[in-house]
Amino acid sequence: MTATQDRSAQTGQAQTGETRILTLIQAVTEAMREELARDDRVVVFGEDVGARGGVFLATAGLQAEFGPRRVFDTPLSEASVVGAAVGMAVRGLRPIAEIQFADYMGPGFDQIISQAAKIRYRSGGQFTAPLIIRTPSGGGVKGGHHHSQSPESYFTHTPGLKVVMPSTPYDAKGLLKAAIRGEDPVIYFEPKRLYRAAKGEVPSHDYIVKIGEGAVRREGTDLTLVGYGGVMPDAERAAAALAAEGVSVEVIDLRSLVPWDRELVLSSVQKTGRAVLVSEAPRISNFMGEVAYVIQEQAFDSLLAPVGQVAGFDTPYPYVQDKVYLPGPNRITAACVKALNY
Amino acid sequence: MMTASPSISNIPPLSSPIEPFSPEPLRWVAEDGRPVRDLPARYTPELLRELHREMVRAREFDRKLVTLLRQGRTTFYAQSSGMEATQVGLARSIRVGHDWVWPYYRDHTLGLAMGVPMIDLISQCLGTNSDLCKGRQMPHHFGSASKNFVSISSSIASQVPPAAGNAMAQKYLGTDEITLCTFGDGATSEGDWHAGLNMAGAAKAPALFVCENNQWAISTNLAAQTASPNIHIKAKAYGMPGFYVDGNDIVAVMEVCGYAAEWVRAGNGPALVECLTYRVGSHSNADADAEKNYRTRDEVNSWLARDPIARVEGLLAHLGYPVDAEERADLISAVHRAVDADVLKAEATGQPDWRIMFEDVYADTPPHLREQAAFVRAEQEGQK
Repeated sequence: MTATQDRSAQTGQAQTGETRILTLIQAVTEAMREELARDDRVVVFGEDVGARGGVFLATAGLQAEFGPRRVFDTPLSEASVVGAAVGMAVRGLRPIAEIQFADYMGPGFDQIISQAAKIRYRSGGQFTAPLIIRTPSGGGVKGGHHHSQSPESYFTHTPGLKVVMPSTPYDAKGLLKAAIRGEDPVIYFEPKRLYRAAKGEVPSHDYIVKIGEGAVRREGTDLTLVGYGGVMPDAERAAAALAAEGVSVEVIDLRSLVPWDRELVLSSVQKTGRAVLVSEAPRISNFMGEVAYVIQEQAFDSLLAPVGQVAGFDTPYPYVQDKVYLPGPNRITAACVKALNY
Repeated sequence: MMTASPSISNIPPLSSPIEPFSPEPLRWVAEDGRPVRDLPARYTPELLRELHREMVRAREFDRKLVTLLRQGRTTFYAQSSGMEATQVGLARSIRVGHDWVWPYYRDHTLGLAMGVPMIDLISQCLGTNSDLCKGRQMPHHFGSASKNFVSISSSIASQVPPAAGNAMAQKYLGTDEITLCTFGDGATSEGDWHAGLNMAGAAKAPALFVCENNQWAISTNLAAQTASPNIHIKAKAYGMPGFYVDGNDIVAVMEVCGYAAEWVRAGNGPALVECLTYRVGSHSNADADAEKNYRTRDEVNSWLARDPIARVEGLLAHLGYPVDAEERADLISAVHRAVDADVLKAEATGQPDWRIMFEDVYADTPPHLREQAAFVRAEQEGQK
């Protein structure tokens, strides 16, 4: 079974209808284009997203198509980009704010945690902020530590936010559409090294990928490999390498971190008895620590080996050494072998 | 832009447009109650009496809530005593329920003057079932959708960029609403304050920023807060007019804020108003010995002598409609009775139980929250 078929099976999408091969970033753009056309409340803004189309070109062509009222540049201030999104959402718009790099969420952090995440709760549901913050994250593009970090744990640690990270064009489009149509603030991380590296079939018809549902990329019986975002192609490469050695690895893409698909992961681990968790964020307080905790709590009797983890290191993200820093297929394979030989 | 005479509909009757960046706070009524410039016709004795009543109500509400605090029936209170002219005047400068407000935590007098029922404010301070915010926020962090009075965050100045965004949305939607955003003097040192004003200026959004400059941010005074001689001058950096007002003169507040609000509404972009007033009380109950620690009794006394309520009474007396002692006493006791009644009513609704804790985190309830709620349910029911 191919990964594409697996994914379709997981998301329950009909295989009928036209599909095209898009890159991940094209899928992001297409989701915004379709939602801008569908709903006049949707606006897209951020630094250099207008005429420039964004530094990665995620918003290319959108201002030309929808005009500067709907798609516009802002001052260079992440606090005001996020803060303005909060105010717009409270007043009834569906803002899609771009933070140029996840590394620059810092100046907007208080707006995210004090305003976006809490306004529904603190107002007793009188005010809500359904907004999307799109931001490229992760390494692998020779960006050094201010253009390569994976800050998702800061946000998964804040109740009131939903946090997602697609790894395929299909999911990129479907998750972004689900976020735009949802009622909660969503931090939407885009694994930047997959922007053009990840290509895949994307239906022409309208669809969403429900936030909170993971996907099985490859079925297997010996070990469960769980990842999300930029590490997914390497996780699949590791699984393929192990398959050549006669080991059957099940590969799960979380897609959503908050909420995450515990049922999918637990049922897989109960079947395989082994789990290796892969991400590129630093190890301490890594989101996968929560996944590991839930596995040992809920599936302890099924485990044949300790839960393995492959993560970034607890150093700032390095420039020259980023190939060493990132979990590659070899390190993932080695972690699987260790679990298998336990 | 600053000196142009904009075409404005619906502005308060004025002999001339109000000039921004005045060297001294603009004033209509002197401290002894005598008008220092022509009093616009709308300030009839009836209106002035109404304003006086609202200011006294706010002052006494403050007193009663401090008593409740001392009785241990609430846990936090930030007085706005001494700032009544600024906040009651502000409420009269906007279209309540039409315009939007992103307030700060010391704005309960603004809320009252906007017509938020007293019981709503009391319920929020007590965290009872009658609290619109469901008991989730510490006292004084109120919000009311019916007045477009947005729920308050404690994080200083964090309401400023959202207010800019709220105003951008109002412009996008083609409304004739404006957004009022209030803050204290301390907030103007925060990055978010500058980011928000800059954004509103660049977007030419209909936002009215009002600094309730009470000269103290907890224990830090204005001179330590900024090397700038005042706050309103900072508006120049963001391409908007900055108005300087005597915040203890309710006529001045209404004239200037009313003018600025309609100037903003007319599509001229945002404006900043600085209302110079004074925090007569402590920052909060966490700071009850202000005069022992960081400011002098003489300074407080000098501002007590410039009391905004006394000034309205002086003006009414000057106009031949004095407020006599009996009338004032009746007014005060009526407020006390109303607060007492609302406190009992609010307390009678009880306190929200644990279920409320798990609601409104998201629009839906994700599996992990359902599981945590089930855990607490078992724990709570096990204790019965």
